[in-house]
Amino acid sequence: MVGPRYASTVRQIIAWLLVALFVFPIYHWVTVAFKTPKEIFDKPPNVWRFTPTVENFEQVFGISLGFGFGDVREVLPGGGNFYMAPRVWDSIVIAVFSTILAVTVATLASYALSRMRFRGQQHFVNWVLSTRMMPPVAVAIPMFFLFKNVGLLDTYTGLILVHSLMNLPLAVLLMKSFFDDIPKEIDESATIDGASRWLIFRRIILPMAKGGLAATAVLAFIFSWTEFLFVLTLSQGSIQTVPVASSTFVTSIGTAWGNMAALGTASMVPAFLFILLVQKHLVRGLTLGSLKQ
Amino acid sequence: MAVANLTRRRSALFDHPLPWLLPLIAILALLAIFPLFYSIWLSFYEWSTFNRQLEFVGWRNWATLFDDDRLSASLIVTFSYFAIALSFELVLGMGLALLLDADHRGFGFLRGALTLTLVIPPAVAGMMFLLMEDAEFGVITYVLQTIGLIDRGTPILATPSLALAGVLLVEIWQWTPFMVLIFMAGLRSLPTEPFEAALIDGASWWMTFRRITLPMMGKVIAIAVLIRGIDLFRVFDYVFVMTSGGPGTRTFSLSLYAWQQTFSFVKWGYGATLSLVTLAIVLVIANLFIWLTKVRW
Repeated sequence: MVGPRYASTVRQIIAWLLVALFVFPIYHWVTVAFKTPKEIFDKPPNVWRFTPTVENFEQVFGISLGFGFGDVREVLPGGGNFYMAPRVWDSIVIAVFSTILAVTVATLASYALSRMRFRGQQHFVNWVLSTRMMPPVAVAIPMFFLFKNVGLLDTYTGLILVHSLMNLPLAVLLMKSFFDDIPKEIDESATIDGASRWLIFRRIILPMAKGGLAATAVLAFIFSWTEFLFVLTLSQGSIQTVPVASSTFVTSIGTAWGNMAALGTASMVPAFLFILLVQKHLVRGLTLGSLKQ
Repeated sequence: MAVANLTRRRSALFDHPLPWLLPLIAILALLAIFPLFYSIWLSFYEWSTFNRQLEFVGWRNWATLFDDDRLSASLIVTFSYFAIALSFELVLGMGLALLLDADHRGFGFLRGALTLTLVIPPAVAGMMFLLMEDAEFGVITYVLQTIGLIDRGTPILATPSLALAGVLLVEIWQWTPFMVLIFMAGLRSLPTEPFEAALIDGASWWMTFRRITLPMMGKVIAIAVLIRGIDLFRVFDYVFVMTSGGPGTRTFSLSLYAWQQTFSFVKWGYGATLSLVTLAIVLVIANLFIWLTKVRW
């Protein structure tokens, strides 16, 4: 018979070990970013002992972190390119503007869905939810031809539009759940005081939903930041986000693992920081507002 | 008087839901409904490489569906992927959630660490595992060889019997934490009385879990299954960067097939038809599931 204290120690050890198993691939990827090609191809694989180098980061971001300013923007023999700073910029532009667009449109709509009653409302909510079910490939294929005809292929505008479409169901349902948390009596008493709907929304309800707004924006940003298929399909090289750019390190003569890991590691940092900021609302966000923590 | 009227009319405008919903309806109509109809239209045409134009082919693309070995192969891959990944993520997720649902020191940190996998771009996660599953330099390959599960120099992702498992590994790694977070929130929200009663009655741990925890977690589990299931069914990123559907058709998902037909083989009409099939399957299964489990938004 094991005592309860003993059992609890065992439980803690198992928990730490299992979580370490989940974190290991991230740790491994970060070490690859700081390794030389020789160390990446060590046999047997070497996870602990290596001499950290920032060479991969220097090549990917075109800056020299140590001494000397060699030309690091070389083209790979296989036709790829090391220099990825513009790709990070593309990712930021697309994620920021698609988030602003999606959250703005969704906030307006979800206020009405939370505060007003109209015929077919439940159907409308279900319809919004069902756009979340559309497989990206079913949107990307017609969108490719549509964008080709109107000149939106390979443009910021096109990708911003598609990413905000992708984030709209999440943003609408999530913001609705945050508005639902705010008692309706607040609206009612403001109405009696003679405030218009717009004024109530703008001056009272919106400031009260600030935390929810931030959480929604962070999640929309992350989903745009990590999206792959739309960018792969609707860009033709002059604009590319980090996930798609990462796959270009795979060339006919081999894969530039160190550079790919450097880009991946650098792009994970903002996402990690953001997700830790919204821990409180994370479950609600992941379940589109249907579960509260 | 006129000014007052004007203000009232302006405020009356916002009393109606339509102005609030209009931007949303406009974007969804432009970017979700129009492409849908365009796909349907496209499925009755095919690009002719000889004449260099779209030609009307009637129901041909739809008829091809019923006589397409690659489609049946991709359906089998997609459904297996869906079922295996979902089972593992549910069971592992529930196990980890029960394990971490305690107030020990550092458990908050562990929960935070688990969320990290969720924000890694799936394409990048695929690359991470591509390196770790490399036949010569991969850590996972090395560990599996050392414990004798696979032979020396076995390329996991190029071996027909192992390729799907190799892709499922990254899938399960990245999304089990999704289940853990949702289940932990669910466990936290359960009332304590039934558990106290079970303790007094001397019910075993397994009995308590089977008869109290699981039934009370029904809604939470249903929502987790729905949201993860929708994404599982349209898997693309992992197979695209890790295997391109190979070896043979062992990891050839439905989304990948539709994409490849359109953009690699210039079969625009058939690609659109396949994407509509994917859409139809997801919509039917998801709505059936919502109807059966009575999940509400």
